[in-house]
Amino acid sequence: MTCRIDIDFRPGEGAVLRLIGLVERRGFVVRAMSLPPARPGAAARLTLEVSPRDPGRQVETVCAQIAKMYEVVAVAPAWPQALEAAS
Amino acid sequence: MLTAAAPPPPHDLAAKPAARTGAHLVVEALEREGVDYVFGYPGGAIMPVYDALPGSRLKHVLVRHEQAAALAADAYGRVSGEPGVCLATSGPGATNLITGIANAFMDSVPMVAITGQVGTSLMGTDAFQEIDVFGVTLPIVKHSFIARSAADIPEIFAEAFALAKGGRPGPVLIDLPKDVTQALGPFPPAGPVPAPAGYASPDPASMRAAEALIRAARRPVLYFGGGIAIARAEAALRDFHDRTRIPAVATLKGLGGLPTEREDFLGMLGMHGTRAANTAVMESDLLICVGARFDDRATGKLDTFAPGAQVIHIDGDASEISKLRRANVALPGDIAAILTQLEPGRLDIAAWRTRCARNAADWAFRYDAPGAGVYAPALLNALSRQAGDRFIVTCDVGQHQMWVAQHCRFSRPQAHLTSAGLGAMGYGIPAGIGALFAEPDATVVTVTGDGSIMMNIQELATLRRYGLPLKIVLLDNSQLGMVRQWQELFYEQNFSEVDLYDNPDFAEVARAFGIEAFTVDRRADVPGAIDRLLKTRGPILAHVRIDPAENVWPLVPPGKSNSDMMEAS
Repeated sequence: MTCRIDIDFRPGEGAVLRLIGLVERRGFVVRAMSLPPARPGAAARLTLEVSPRDPGRQVETVCAQIAKMYEVVAVAPAWPQALEAAS
Repeated sequence: MLTAAAPPPPHDLAAKPAARTGAHLVVEALEREGVDYVFGYPGGAIMPVYDALPGSRLKHVLVRHEQAAALAADAYGRVSGEPGVCLATSGPGATNLITGIANAFMDSVPMVAITGQVGTSLMGTDAFQEIDVFGVTLPIVKHSFIARSAADIPEIFAEAFALAKGGRPGPVLIDLPKDVTQALGPFPPAGPVPAPAGYASPDPASMRAAEALIRAARRPVLYFGGGIAIARAEAALRDFHDRTRIPAVATLKGLGGLPTEREDFLGMLGMHGTRAANTAVMESDLLICVGARFDDRATGKLDTFAPGAQVIHIDGDASEISKLRRANVALPGDIAAILTQLEPGRLDIAAWRTRCARNAADWAFRYDAPGAGVYAPALLNALSRQAGDRFIVTCDVGQHQMWVAQHCRFSRPQAHLTSAGLGAMGYGIPAGIGALFAEPDATVVTVTGDGSIMMNIQELATLRRYGLPLKIVLLDNSQLGMVRQWQELFYEQNFSEVDLYDNPDFAEVARAFGIEAFTVDRRADVPGAIDRLLKTRGPILAHVRIDPAENVWPLVPPGKSNSDMMEAS
């Protein structure tokens, strides 16, 4: 099952490494990602498509962990149904 | 008493010359945050900061290994509630901090770790003593900064301290390239310090749902952890417990949240928990989890843990709720406020309380071990009782750590400093140093083993240097005891690399560092040894020889349910 996670964040030093590292350490494989250029002073948006390494990993939990990070402004998971509807 | 020299007068910030270095900004930022002590060790890339230290009001504690600086800062943070600060140079200085940073991360301790770095033009070139400590520590910090400009230093430090102690505390790293700390100003004045993040009020509907679950429960258990100490919520916990009298159990980090002898407190749960605590949890119909996280050492096999219980989960960190065990009612937020506002009313749990109390009495620990040798659990129990309410114990890791948790008496959460999440051997003596600087009037005892003490034995020199009255109880079984116990029980007695027959004479080693020391090997000598430890005004080490075959009981085997406890045969 693949999920999409949209993360809005302040693009400080190491922020992307920190975000992707957390997602991988917490038991998800990053299948795809996009990071369009952000306007100066604006939040950047990182979109990750992820799948859990085992059935015990919940996307709500990793999103709550992402939400705690200092640079993160907002995080929202998109569920598989939503991904299918959008594709 | 501490014998550190009286501090010089604080900087007069208004009188500063216009041209200052980035290193002066570092010192001023630490002063502005109210930092008293910095635990550190100098070296090349951090020399500008050390150059700026004299004349400041900061008191620097020179340890003998950077790992001890981080571990002492950790203990200082646990006792004081304010971020402990450690300081090291680049490269090996920075990597030596890592165990201490990880320890603070795993146990949610406020810490600011400051590292020197090679100059910005050399970063990324494999320069001498260059290591990407920012990258290396990403998984074990709450946040981290590289100061790329001296002008950024005041804001970075203000953010770092707010982050370290706000919400769920943790370590924050600040990496300082040498050209940045050497840069000359003038610099703009520091901006306002951000307030630590606060909590929203608890959701009223969830509060009412929790109260209804508590009222309906017939076998509730209050299961609390380190979140109580983090939130300084012990008064609220005790008030809630007074009002409900729900049988309670603690995690390793929760010990001291309720006083050890309190009625309806059943002790620690989990792998080396009491039978009464584990039985109550397994039979419960409601778990009120407060500041705990269903850690594997507490739950045993998770899918058999408290199988008939609904769960109310109260935690300062919303991401812990339903991470491992689904909560029927989630209450993220200020633990003290939530406990204070919960009003479940009259409970129908008299029969359950009686059953739990009877179990606790029937399965209470006994201290009448056969033989004439020193029985470590009895020694620790007696020592903690004699030490009184200003007692703080710092543990190393191994069998002695579990004996402390099982047998010592704790009257407050700050009385028990242990490397719970990381399980770092070598924590004990540096933690004792940090605890003594945070609370100089406390009776601080480090309980260590003959394996653990060797991990940071050089810190005896720090005790001597500052005249710190740390009381060290070294339980020596000439083994790596916990590993040996597991090899005995789970590896068919294939004892592999656990025999420490060639230990040095620890009392002689301590004396070589200028520390008073003595050896105890008979049970009859224990009362006198405790008296001597508690009455000695300076640092002292009691080298206690114990039975190498002694194990920690009870024990839930790894991967088993908490109902599958093993006892001494």
